[in-house]
Amino acid sequence: MFTTARPTLGAAVNDFLNRRPDAQQPIEFPHNTHVGKGVMCEFCHEGVDKGPVAGIPGLRTCMICHDAIATDRPRIQQMAAMRDKGIDLAWQRVYGFANEDHVKFNHAPHIRAKVECSTCHGNVAEQTVAQRNVEHTMGFCVNCHNERKASIDCLTCHF
Amino acid sequence: MDRRSFIKLTAVTGTSAALASCGNPENQIIRFLPGEDIVPGVAMWKPGVCPLCRAGCGLTVRVMDADADVLRNGQAGVVRVSAAKKLEGAPEHPVNSGGLCPRGQAGIQITYHPDRVTQPLKRSGSRGDGRYDAISWDDAIGEVVSRLNALEAAGNQKSLACLARSGANHRDVLIRQFLARFGAPLPVTYELFGDEVLRRANALSFGREQLPTFDLANARHVLSFGADLLGTWNSPVAQSVGYGQMRRGRPGMRGSFVQVESRMSQTGANADEWVPVRPGTEGVLAVGLAHLIMAEKLLPVPPASSAVRLLAGWNEGLADYSPQRVEEITGVPAVRLARLARRFVEESPAVAIAGGPALAHTNGIFTALAVNALNTLAGNIDRPGGISFTPQLDVAASVKAPAPGAPPAPALAQWSVALASGSMAEVLFVDGVNPVFTAPPAWRVREGLDKVPYIVSFGSFLDETSVMADLILPDHSFLESWMEAVPESGAHTSVASVAPAVMRPLYDTRATPDVLLDIGSRLQRPLELPWKSFEEMLAASFGALPPATPDVDAWTDAQGKGMWSGTLPAALARQSVVAVNAPAVAQAYEEPRFDGEVSEYPFHFLPYPSSTFFDGSLAHLPWLQEMPDPMTSAMWSSWIEINPSTAVKLGLGEGDVVEVASTQGAIRGSMVITPGIAPDVVAMPVGQGHRFFTRYASGRGANPMEIVAPLTEPVTGALAWAATRVRVSRVGPPDGRLILFAGGMREHVEQER
Repeated sequence: MFTTARPTLGAAVNDFLNRRPDAQQPIEFPHNTHVGKGVMCEFCHEGVDKGPVAGIPGLRTCMICHDAIATDRPRIQQMAAMRDKGIDLAWQRVYGFANEDHVKFNHAPHIRAKVECSTCHGNVAEQTVAQRNVEHTMGFCVNCHNERKASIDCLTCHF
Repeated sequence: MDRRSFIKLTAVTGTSAALASCGNPENQIIRFLPGEDIVPGVAMWKPGVCPLCRAGCGLTVRVMDADADVLRNGQAGVVRVSAAKKLEGAPEHPVNSGGLCPRGQAGIQITYHPDRVTQPLKRSGSRGDGRYDAISWDDAIGEVVSRLNALEAAGNQKSLACLARSGANHRDVLIRQFLARFGAPLPVTYELFGDEVLRRANALSFGREQLPTFDLANARHVLSFGADLLGTWNSPVAQSVGYGQMRRGRPGMRGSFVQVESRMSQTGANADEWVPVRPGTEGVLAVGLAHLIMAEKLLPVPPASSAVRLLAGWNEGLADYSPQRVEEITGVPAVRLARLARRFVEESPAVAIAGGPALAHTNGIFTALAVNALNTLAGNIDRPGGISFTPQLDVAASVKAPAPGAPPAPALAQWSVALASGSMAEVLFVDGVNPVFTAPPAWRVREGLDKVPYIVSFGSFLDETSVMADLILPDHSFLESWMEAVPESGAHTSVASVAPAVMRPLYDTRATPDVLLDIGSRLQRPLELPWKSFEEMLAASFGALPPATPDVDAWTDAQGKGMWSGTLPAALARQSVVAVNAPAVAQAYEEPRFDGEVSEYPFHFLPYPSSTFFDGSLAHLPWLQEMPDPMTSAMWSSWIEINPSTAVKLGLGEGDVVEVASTQGAIRGSMVITPGIAPDVVAMPVGQGHRFFTRYASGRGANPMEIVAPLTEPVTGALAWAATRVRVSRVGPPDGRLILFAGGMREHVEQER
């Protein structure tokens, strides 16, 4: 069967110009509140120090705490209701590389090298839902690799 | 379509699609809550067991998060699941030592196959047309229970029959216990490439009714009679690992390898020397070698044992098999015979192997006994570089299940013919076999099954046999349920494999052993099987084994490693030392019988196990369909191999469509001309030609078993699948159905247009 890589012509044009619509999240998740309460990034993004993907947590992760905490808030009650219906939060990705960039990014070595999360993801303590306010261009990556004397061999990232 | 109109069409469809859908499609996706905690992006490797052949290789399965499309309460959406993504060989497993054959690699596609049976089905159309309605598990099991209760009420328990795979594993013991306690006969087992002849010959020669394990790693010379030991025969991964060691694992010493067969197999292509012989005369070559070795006193004559006494004329040095006579019978020149004999003696340790088509003749037992005697002469039994028999766990003993007193089941041939005449079975269970496809037509399996009033199949796919079923109770895939194997050969120590499910079931399926236990407990007279679940049975069995690691019990240890391996206590070892009534007269060479007169059917027909589909049970996997055959590079098709000189004689060109006819019928296929086949042999891989077996295999190529004659080896009753004669005639030019990798036929056809 013949399929295109992009579902619509518009999507193809946007993709070509590297224009991406802002992610629309199912609820306005307050990163600021959570970071302010001292929840560490890797508590919810638990894959970050284990492998390539940090992971966007699902409702099960939320309810670990929110079964007991802030249960009087309408948004939490809404989430509990979703859980009871067996529906998860359909988060959208904020960051990521396009397929044709042929970039294979792996979080874990960056955590091991003690790169701060905010270096690449901005200061989420000041954001509700994550904003894409750091552009992940190749120059951005290579600068940091140069500064930290990390390998800048092509095959480090493009393979 | 030309380029211009293609671009126009793309522009039009692209624009309209762009107008039709605005916004971000991800917004419309409903995500369901996963049933388990999954850390995304992190792979886990879990142990598994490969079920695709009897070798019982250990797997290590890469398990990661994945999004699965599901339907919940009528709503479509995605859910994150923990899914198996890649199969590899388990590095520590004593059988496969980290290797895995291409069939095993492709096994991952079974779980995700689009044509899997996803829930219990009840027949709604007529038999064999494949129309089924969904039914709930409760109703389905209730239906089976009421059928069995009716048999019981009528005192007719022996009318429950079962068609199953042969094998001495836990599943087999559970099925036997179920049948015996119900009062039914033991299962009818059938495997096309089942090696019964070799097992029986080993029982006669060595008192072990078992396939042997070869220590190829320490051998210097291997002489194989027809055994495709690197491709499909016995324990191919274990043998390939050992073969690699033999060839280049020892600095300065490269083992040598001679293959005797009439059609060059994948294994034959690896040999230093390929010796074509007339089909069915391989045993004569073996005794001819033994005669030369004894006549020239190249080796000391071993003490008389049953292995050598079984050959007529052994004490006279097998004088009947002089090089001249061997040349007359086999077609191998006496000079070459002398060279092979010297090589076998000088490059010690040298091991002889018999298997595959060499034993699939009416005189197969003689060939196997001859090779056993040759090994005995070379002193190969239980020595490094020779052959040995792996101590095998007796599952019935380890689970403390009494040996069933039920009468043994007849062979498939007699059973199905009796069925077709309308007797015996009222209810039939079918588990994991497809004899409608793999048995010769004269056995009338399809007609026999048609006479059975009620058939229950436990298969995951609709194939030619399960499409006859009235009720389908689909099993989990092997990655979704407990898996186990008790390998018969391939390892030098005793080994039993076991692994828990690596992922949750994708569909509404149930593990067949658990379904049987459930049925057994719901009967009017419950069968009182000693286990509540298959897991409990496995725990009992592995719990009875001595710990393989200090301070850890064997069951816990085995689940973590995927297998138990160690020294088997005598009480738990399979009593493979069986007292088989030795043939009263010592065996001498008898000419193999062939079906069909030479004048009318001038060619030997060799249907051989396909490197990709084995006996056809794997033809539904697209990765295997697209894997080029190692000898012809053909894929997605079936073909007929013929010698160039024969092709010239018959006026045939590469790719021509030909008809191959035997006394049993005729099939058509495309011709592949290859020098690796004797001029009087035509060969065809088994596996294609399915009439009903998923979208990938149905209606593709032809099934050679449809023209195989029902000749059997008389001692075992095993099908002599290489004993059919055929004639070949041209039907027409290439029809484009034969697809060869990297060009070949397809381009050829395009050019002709």
